[in-house]
Amino acid sequence: MQASLRVLQHQPMIRFLGKRTLPTNINHAPKPHPAAPASRLPDSFATYRQKAQQHGPLNTSATNTGIGAQTGASLGPVELHPSGMAFARSELPKKFQTVPWTLAEIEAIESGGASMVA
Amino acid sequence: MLKLFAPRTALRASARSGAPIPAFRPSAFPLTCNAAFRRGYASEAEERDLIVIGGGVAGYVAAIKAGQAGLKVSCIEKRATLGGTCLNVGCIPSKSLLNNTHLYHQILHDTKNRGIVVDGVHMDIAQLMKAKETSVSGLTKGIEFLFKKNNVEWVKGTGAFADEHTVDVNLVEGGERSLRGKNIIVATGSEATPFPGLTIDEEKVITSTGAIALKEVPKKMVVIGGGIIGLEMGSVWSRLGAEVTVVEYLGQIGGPGMDAEVAKATQKLLAKQGMKFKLNTKVTSGDDSSASVKINVEAAKGGKEETLDADVVLVAIGRRPYTAGLGFENIGLEVDERGRLIIDQEYRTKIPHIRVIGDCTFGPMLAHKAEEEAVAAVEYITKGYGHVNYNAIPSVMYTHPEVAWVGQNEQELQKEGVKYKVGTFPFSANSRAKTNLDTEGFVKFLSDAETDRILGVHIVGPNAGEMIAEGTLALEYGASCEDVARTSHAHPTLSEAFKEAAMATYDKAIHF
Repeated sequence: MQASLRVLQHQPMIRFLGKRTLPTNINHAPKPHPAAPASRLPDSFATYRQKAQQHGPLNTSATNTGIGAQTGASLGPVELHPSGMAFARSELPKKFQTVPWTLAEIEAIESGGASMVA
Repeated sequence: MLKLFAPRTALRASARSGAPIPAFRPSAFPLTCNAAFRRGYASEAEERDLIVIGGGVAGYVAAIKAGQAGLKVSCIEKRATLGGTCLNVGCIPSKSLLNNTHLYHQILHDTKNRGIVVDGVHMDIAQLMKAKETSVSGLTKGIEFLFKKNNVEWVKGTGAFADEHTVDVNLVEGGERSLRGKNIIVATGSEATPFPGLTIDEEKVITSTGAIALKEVPKKMVVIGGGIIGLEMGSVWSRLGAEVTVVEYLGQIGGPGMDAEVAKATQKLLAKQGMKFKLNTKVTSGDDSSASVKINVEAAKGGKEETLDADVVLVAIGRRPYTAGLGFENIGLEVDERGRLIIDQEYRTKIPHIRVIGDCTFGPMLAHKAEEEAVAAVEYITKGYGHVNYNAIPSVMYTHPEVAWVGQNEQELQKEGVKYKVGTFPFSANSRAKTNLDTEGFVKFLSDAETDRILGVHIVGPNAGEMIAEGTLALEYGASCEDVARTSHAHPTLSEAFKEAAMATYDKAIHF
């Protein structure tokens, strides 16, 4: 009798699924927006990523989060390594090295930019 | 790149004063564009985690959400107040006018049978507008407060892309400022689409912006476009005494999405209130050179031309994305044939750290859709995951009675060949509607014929705009009509009509 009652009981389509968690695997590859009329993205999306890949940040899957997801502040200050060792800026690849001031730049700053138009 | 972390001027100042040089905090993202390596003579652009261009519903929600997540965020807005079109010249002021003119209309026409005797009723238009402005200013100031509370910087000016990470701001107070952002969200909104041949002066030929600010009631008003905006503003001025004629190219009012049965019923109710309709009619030309405006119309399929005379013409044929001056061409962002910025499923343009939300991209131009996108876009940045269900975005028309719907309508289901069931319940059979003497309209459910899953809910009647929230929730959760019907609804309430319509769809209604 009780079993029959249970069968007759309404089974809701809505069910509690437990505390919400983020999906572990998310495919971030660009796909058309769900409300977009076109079924494919312009080629420029792939082209840009291909071009930008050479610089490093794109197409990496180190984290699931977006670019700049963490604030700079949350990373904390940069401190000297406990070993006491540090590297000199001059040891870095050239593009990271200090760009020396040119005379023209110094003059431009000191003249408030006037030397650039003189 | 390194110079960005600790500006030279700051380091030199510290060295001169003998103070310790502050530890610099590295960016989470190495900037990739060449501009980052270029030395400029001007002061260095300030770097943000997020720059939001536009302080409307999409933009301000994104900015607040980002501020709550701890991002360093700036929002660029040129208006003197935040809130964009919605708060300043759209949803909010129009709702103030709709509510107050409805009260006026009800006092004029619907009090005697309720035992209320009112004499000497007249409208003070200046005070009507003042009440509207009070509502608007209260809300826009509220956003400003929320910005401060959530550490969002409001940059007052017009933003334009200088490069992929830099936005140059033409400041309202004069001068320029450059902002650099790891992420940029574009939320520049939309503007009314003009009608070719008519010059918008917001006095004789108006858009929705002018329609909420008329100084006097026009004798004759022609509304071009029978969508939500046209019908709402037409209602306002019709209630105040204007002779309103709505010209619509299509065969039904309400715009895209409104169920044909609901549209027909709504048209009848609005016609009863005094509005005139010309459906299947196109406007061929207009002449606004004299004191009045002449509008030439003819049957959409061709036919005899007719001229309509009006003191005021409201152009309400739709809205188009507003991206003027944004400089998206400078960085190669693309737009489609309707001027919408092209994005992927995570709101990213082809340049992944630049996202677009709201009216200036795909989807319906609705404030609540823009808000959902704002939250999702920021969550994609901070968590890598966001959620917007485009199948469960409600639409509401705030006429009286209100019209609201969510999900698919009958015509869409028929087009897709879906087998469906229909259930309706009239407000004339609802106890609360009876006591309120406000019984026009009905609730209509559409469900999958096999599974009973709700596919669409359509309401015309009192409080439809509030009631549709239950339908949206049911649709979002994938509920069946039986789920809604077996949920207790308080008695006596209008929401019982909602429950009974669900009952009528999977079984039978009790009270009808």
